[in-house]
Amino acid sequence: MDKNIISDLDNFPEEDKQRMSTMADQLQIRDSLRMYNSLVEKCFKECVNTFYRKSMTKQEETCVLRCAQKYLRLSMQVGLRFSDLNQGSSTTDK
Amino acid sequence: MASNISPAAFDKEQIFGMAEKEMEYRVELFNKMTQTCFKKCVDNRYKESELNMGENSCIDRCVSKYWHVTNLVGQLLGSGRSPM
Repeated sequence: MDKNIISDLDNFPEEDKQRMSTMADQLQIRDSLRMYNSLVEKCFKECVNTFYRKSMTKQEETCVLRCAQKYLRLSMQVGLRFSDLNQGSSTTDK
Repeated sequence: MASNISPAAFDKEQIFGMAEKEMEYRVELFNKMTQTCFKKCVDNRYKESELNMGENSCIDRCVSKYWHVTNLVGQLLGSGRSPM
């Protein structure tokens, strides 16, 4: 969650800062739930393809965990790069 | 309803509305970027949970290019304003 907007509000009255902070928090909660749902959908689609049994196979379970972990790591890395771009710092190509 | 709001309060409401929209836009941009780069960069055989070297390089480049495309399309649409 980007906090740039909030850090610019030091001159604002306390009441307005509180309101802005509440908005950011609500957005963060909504975003987390949305990410959770889309991650479940994505990894389910990629990892679960047979339905002979109700229970998950070991292979499916492993696949889901790896899928989710990779996504979370990727999200973290994208977040770092996204911050760099927002700061306007130049990126050396590699 | 509107007549009960002073001009100053109305301006404040507009500012808060704009700030909220801007926050939402940034979150949406980040999500789209993440999902797109995941699809393009991650080997979907999931042999391990760590991102390998190739995937890491791809992600960095993918983010950079996605940002570039966002700016190009933004300019084309005449917004004249880069996304944040």
